[in-house]
Formats: sequence, structure tokens, C-alpha cells
Amino acid sequence: MPKLTIDGKNIEVAKGTTLLEAAQQLGIYIPRYCYHPKLSVSGSCRMCLVEVERGPKLVTACSTEAADGMAVLTASDKVMAARRDVLEFLLINHPLDCPICDQAGECGLQDYYMKYSLRKSRFSQEDKVLRQKRRAAGPRLMLDNERCILCTRCVRFCSEVTKTFELEVMERSDHSFIDLKEGKALDNDYSLNIADLCPVGAFTSRDFRFKQRVWFLKKTPTICLGCATGCKIEAHHNENTIYRLAPRPNSETNTWLCDHGRLSYKAVQAGDRLAKGVIKNGLIDLEPALREAATRIDEAKGAVAVLGSPWLSVEDNAALARLAKDAIKTESYCFDLTAEQGIKDGILINKDPAPNTSGVKLVKEALGGISLEELVRRIAAGQFKVVLTEARAALLIKDALKTSGPRLIVFACAKSEIPAGAYATFPYATYFETPGTFVNYQGLRRRTEAPVEAPEGVKPLWALVNKLAAYSGAGLRLDSAEDALKEIIFK
Amino acid sequence: MENILLKNNVAGIEAYFADGGYKPLKKALGLKPADIIEEVKKSNLRGRGGAGFPAGLKWSFIPKDAQGPRYLVCNADEGEPGTFKDRELLRKNPHALIEGMAIAAYAIGAGHGYIYIRGEFAAEAELLEKAVAAARAKGFIGKNILGSGFNFEIFTHRGAGAYICGEETALLESLEGYKGQPRLKPPFPAIKGLFGCPTVINNVETLAAVPAIIEKGGDWYAALGSGKSAGTKLFCVSGPVNKPGVYELPLGVTFLDLLEKSCGGMKTGKKLKAVLPGGSSTPVLTAEEALAVKLDYESLAAAGSMLGSGAVIVIDESQCMVKLLQVLARFYHHESCGQCTPCREGCGWIDKLLSRFEEGRAEKKDIDTLYSVAEGMLGRTICPLADAMAMPVMSFVKKFRAEFEAHAAGKTCAEAK
Repeated sequence: MPKLTIDGKNIEVAKGTTLLEAAQQLGIYIPRYCYHPKLSVSGSCRMCLVEVERGPKLVTACSTEAADGMAVLTASDKVMAARRDVLEFLLINHPLDCPICDQAGECGLQDYYMKYSLRKSRFSQEDKVLRQKRRAAGPRLMLDNERCILCTRCVRFCSEVTKTFELEVMERSDHSFIDLKEGKALDNDYSLNIADLCPVGAFTSRDFRFKQRVWFLKKTPTICLGCATGCKIEAHHNENTIYRLAPRPNSETNTWLCDHGRLSYKAVQAGDRLAKGVIKNGLIDLEPALREAATRIDEAKGAVAVLGSPWLSVEDNAALARLAKDAIKTESYCFDLTAEQGIKDGILINKDPAPNTSGVKLVKEALGGISLEELVRRIAAGQFKVVLTEARAALLIKDALKTSGPRLIVFACAKSEIPAGAYATFPYATYFETPGTFVNYQGLRRRTEAPVEAPEGVKPLWALVNKLAAYSGAGLRLDSAEDALKEIIFK
Repeated sequence: MENILLKNNVAGIEAYFADGGYKPLKKALGLKPADIIEEVKKSNLRGRGGAGFPAGLKWSFIPKDAQGPRYLVCNADEGEPGTFKDRELLRKNPHALIEGMAIAAYAIGAGHGYIYIRGEFAAEAELLEKAVAAARAKGFIGKNILGSGFNFEIFTHRGAGAYICGEETALLESLEGYKGQPRLKPPFPAIKGLFGCPTVINNVETLAAVPAIIEKGGDWYAALGSGKSAGTKLFCVSGPVNKPGVYELPLGVTFLDLLEKSCGGMKTGKKLKAVLPGGSSTPVLTAEEALAVKLDYESLAAAGSMLGSGAVIVIDESQCMVKLLQVLARFYHHESCGQCTPCREGCGWIDKLLSRFEEGRAEKKDIDTLYSVAEGMLGRTICPLADAMAMPVMSFVKKFRAEFEAHAAGKTCAEAK
């Protein structure tokens, strides 16, 4: 265990720890461009140069291992001079198009220039190296080579993380530029991470570009519901609109985020969001629609089946289970869902596309119910007049429904989700609009936070359940999502 | 003194035999590898590629207990401007290299050796391959060399024209099939080199000196030369001297002797102005400094320059130092691999600044900018290419500032020098 000092502070670190990591443990920040904790060390940007006392030259903190007795200086005159010089070198051929650059406000060049340089340019503008301006580099990314500082994080990401090898540094000297290899398109499932990794405005997200200046964005930590992996994410939003999602790197699940998950926020703002109830094919206000559905449920006199959904939170599933058990008083409710789970691509994407299969199981453990096979058998046998579930879960019983034709009442966020032949559909708030608990494939319990509000009139699903119960005069009352959770035991 | 490296001017194996060739290999195969390394250490043989690192010490860095293959690589990517000594060796004495490689390989336990030869050396590569084939036919390389049980195979690999591939780790990258860019060190090649295995990389001239050391002993070699600069060195003299060319002389020879005795002095009407004593990357010496200096590692370091590759570039009074520096800058600008920020951006900036001087667009403050850009590159990159640009710039500006000032005042090269 080497003991060393950094800026006069003592620290003991594990063997193999780099100076950059050791400094980080002490809360000392060393600026860097090419370094990334999850990528191989390149050591080429030279921004993290630090002084080791009695050493002949400055060393890169990202690549130098801490050794016993080292005395490291991270802010000496020599180090500060080197940082200023590196920044000047990076800026001489940079286009300085900050006013129209989408990275402005979260740009490594801007931030470090303010912090470490503020030096006037000594470079004559007519001598600049010109490179190719923005162009599409795949379906989701734009590449502006002139802004690139050649840190090669993007190249290393594609060769080390996705192992798709799309990018390479072409040419050499100050004519070097990042480009796609011949015959490759930058369309891997994780391509948008490159926009995050890029410290400058070279790679930008085509989805996000020019939608919002980043300094207006507020950040809400939440969970991705794109699959059973349940990555920790951050929603960036302003004035009740989500503009982008970004990963919240953590050791349990994810450093990165897949493009599918990253763009999943679009469903919240989709044009076909439901704001009213649907009875058969006609839109009607929510209250009369709920009363209509409650009447049909009452008429059925217990010949009602309820199916949970892996797409819904534990709270909303529990609310549905309580509705079946305590209000409708049917035995035919099923929260016994299973799916093959596990990372399917070696990175993040799960075999189970639904976010809460594990959470539904907890509802079954607490509130019982029948198996899916039994439910399907009973539906096919025509035992029910009404079947109540969530729109995507209805696919699980699609064939049985066709056989017997009960009235299908579903909860759905968007028109496109409504299954064919649904009798009634109720819109509910997405989990970007209402908090919810989810259990990922590892059994980790995670809660979404709501960065935005639901469209007017759209309520959380548990509240709709509460109303259905109230309209049918049954003895179930849920005042909050937590109410529904009462009997659920989390491990 | 008798030549060690350039003994005869014939590449053939028969001529090499006539001179006692491949006897040292036989002797070496009867010794323990560790003893050979000791002998080379004793000889004080230092790397002739430019850095001057002790060869025996380098060999001893190969971990004794390393499992798996080890490699010996010969750096024949002679690209330093002004340097043409390895080419001469390859043409006139390739078997000294092959024998030296076989001995070195035996000493470090390498079964395979690669000769990475500069792409432009097409004829030399062909010659070398013939020499390797001849040595193989005689059983000096291949399986069970001279009945010793030691196997060693040599492959030649031609470069593709990049100066940077003369840097040993860029060379390894290139040899592995990647873009030639220097690797971050540590790990050093002795621990993790070619294909991730322990590797020794030596210059042609270094390896070619090995047979004589084995034959006559490390002490004998150490006694040649001057102090810690042991042995003979090939000096490549270019410029307006009467007899430019490659000269093998003991280290410690004075520049004056090299110029006057070997090269026949300056050409009529040419007056010495400056000397780049070890290739284009080394700090320039004024005529006065050069005429007082001995050509060895220590003396040149004391004079503020370097022995480098032994390329002595003689500059006369008719040359404009600003123009000359721009020729160098254009070269380094073109050859920087582009990996490290200071080198990638700095070499281009210096080139462009010098264009301003040459085109009459420079101001006086550009002289200081030029110097400080070079300062910003020095010692701050993965490999020494940035230093190779920075050192001439800083020394040219320091020692010939008046010429830069004259250019900045609007004078032409002819008026400025």
C-alpha cells in the first residue's frame, strides 16, 4: 500500500492506483480530456500533467501509478503553465463557434479555459487548420471535426465497450481527424453515449441539438424503464418538457445508457398520448368513462379477471391486485409473471424488455392470485365478462381473449398501445410524471422520480383504480401510491 | 585504428567469413546468456539510435522468469534527417548485424527477431533478405544453430515511410499492424513489447558492434573511445565539406578532426557557421562551439547538445538559419503522429510561424512566441518527437536571434544572414 503526499496531504492507496485516482480520493480534481474511468488510458491529451518532486519531467496523472514516498504537486507553477499551454494548443485550431455550438455551457474547453487559462490568443486566425464541419455520423449523432480535440474517447468507446470499431483517427499531425471506417455506420445500440463522452461539441446528439441551451435544463435523477436492467438515469428538463436522458454512472448497474433507453422519454411527449378515456372507439371524458367501466364491472358480478403488468410500477400493480381482491372480490387475478432475464448483449440491454417483472412477483407473493396459465385457461373457457389489465400486458392473453370475447378494459399511455377490440381504455401517467417503484433483474429496488407533470386530466394508475373502486361502491380506498404498497414486502 | 563496423565493402557472406565472421557467434553459444550480457555491460556499448542507453543494461531488463515468447527487434527505420549510417552498414556489412542479432537473441532468450527496415530502403531490404538467407543456409540462424540447440529466426519487415516508426514503441505498433504511434510508458518494451511480450529493441549499429565485443571482450571495447562513451561510432557528415560521407571513428574524436582530417575541411569559399551534431533533432552549435567540442555523449551534453544518431550536419555562412529551421519544422509538422496535444498542435504552429518570417509577415513579438511555443512542447509528450522539434527551435532562436529579428524587420534571407 503506497503512501504518498498530494499537494501536501497524506494518503495511502491500493497498489496500482494512479495519481489521478489518488488525488480524486483526496477531493483534488485534476483536469483531463482523454481520461475516462471506464476506458483504457490513452495519456495523449496531456491535460492531467502533474509534478512529482525530484522527477525530471511532468507526468500524466492518468497513467502514473502512485508509488511509496512520492510527493505530488497538482497546482504548482510548472503544472499550471503546462495546463495553460495545453489549452492554448487545443484552442489554436478550434473554431471558436461557441455562440452556435450546442455544447456551450457543458464544454470541456470552455470550462477549463475559464478555470485554468484565460490567456489571450497568440495565434493568427488566418493560419487555422480547417476541418470538415458538421455532418451526420449515423442516425443519432452529428460530427463536427473542426471542434474535435482528438481525445479519442469516442474511438476507444467503440472499440472497447461496444466492440463495433466504427471510428478511427485518420491522417496524422494537426490534420488528424476522427472518421468512420470505410463501410461502417455509427449506429450501434449505444451510440449516444459518444455525445456524452465527447468533452467538446464534436459529437452531438441529433435528437437534442438546438432544442435547449443546457444552462436552462434542470436535472432529476430517475430510473430508465427501457428494459429489466433498470439503469440509473437523469432526466434533463425545463418548463415541463423533457429534453434528454443521461446515465447516472454507478457501480451496481450502469456507466452507460443504451440508445433505446435514452430515447424512451419521447413516449411522454408523443403526439398520440391519451388524455381522455376511450369507450369502444370514442373519446369521452375520464369521469363518465370510469363510471361506464365501473358499471360493466358491477354487472359482471365477480366474473371479472385482473392481470398485472411488468410495465407498471409495484404500486400500480398492487393497486390492481387490491382492486381484484378487496373491491371486485374475484379470485381470478394474476400477478404471476415470469420472463427470461439477464444482459443479452454483454453491456446493458436485458433479455426482458419490461422493467418490472421482478416487482410484479412481489405483488403475487404478498397478495396471492392464480398462475398465468390458469388465467388464460379461464378466459378461454369464457368464465369472464370483463378482463382488466394494462395495454401491453393484454398481449399475454391475446389469443384467449379472441376465443371468448369478454369486455377488455385496459390502461394505456398512448393510442398506439390500445389492443384491438378493447372495450374501454384509460390514460394513466407515465413514470416520468408520477413516481413509482421498480425492481430490476438484479432484484434492486429503485424508484422513479417525476421530472414533469402529466397532461391535464391524466392521473396515476393507482388513482384510477381508486376511482373505479369508488364508483362501484366497493370498500377499497387508496389515498396515495404508498397506500397500495401496504402489504408488499421488499427484500 | 582498425574499423569495427565498416571492415570491408562487400555484403557477401564469404567476405565476412574471410574476416573471421560468425566465429563470435560460435563463441557466444558456448557461453551462458548471463555472461554475454555481463560482457556487453562491461563494454559500455550504448544505443546508437540516438538515446545512448546502455545496451547491456537494456538486455538485462528482460525478466528472467518471463513465460512465453521474447522478441528481439532491430530498428533499421533510419529516418532522422542527416542520418545515413545504418544504410551504409546494411549495404556493406549486413552479416555483422545478423550475427549481432543472433548473439543478442541468445543472450535474452529470444527465438524470433524482426528487422524493421525503413520503407525507402528497398535495395537494402533486398540485400538484407539475401544475407539472412545466406546465413540461414549456413546454419547461423534457424533451428539448432551450430549444434547448440538454440533456435533463432529473423524476419525483415519494411516500414511505410513514417519517421515516427523509428521511435521504438511506434515501431512495435507498426510491426503489429497498427498505426505507428508511440505507446505510453511504462510498461517498457522489456516487460511488455512486441505482441505484449518482453522485447529488446536495438539500433542496427548497436547490434553490429556486438560480435566484435564478444570476440575481443568488453574491456577491449570499453577502452576504445573516451570515458563512458566507449567504442567507435559512425558519423554521417553532410553539408558543404569536401568529402561528406560516413566515417567510423572512436567516440571522443573532435569535431575539428572529423571536419579537417576525415572530411577534408570546408569546401573552398565556404565558412563554417553552425553544426547540428547529432541529427536534425539536436540543439544547434555555433561554429565556435563546434570547433571546441569532442564528439561523444558527455562532451556534447556538456556543450548543450546531443550525440544523437551521429548525423553531423554542417552549415555554412551562406545558409539562412530561419529558412533552415523552417525546413526542419515542415518535416516535424508533417511527421508528428498527432497523438499528444503539444506536438500535434505545436509542430504546425511553429511551421506556420516560421512561414510568417520567411514571407515577411512576422513581427518582432513572433520571435518570443516561437520560443515559448517550443518551450510549451518540451518534455510534455509521450515520445521525444516534440522535443526533437522544440530543441532546434529554442537553440536556433537563442543562438541566431539576430537573423530572426532581421526577418521580422522585413529583410529577406539573403539580407538577414
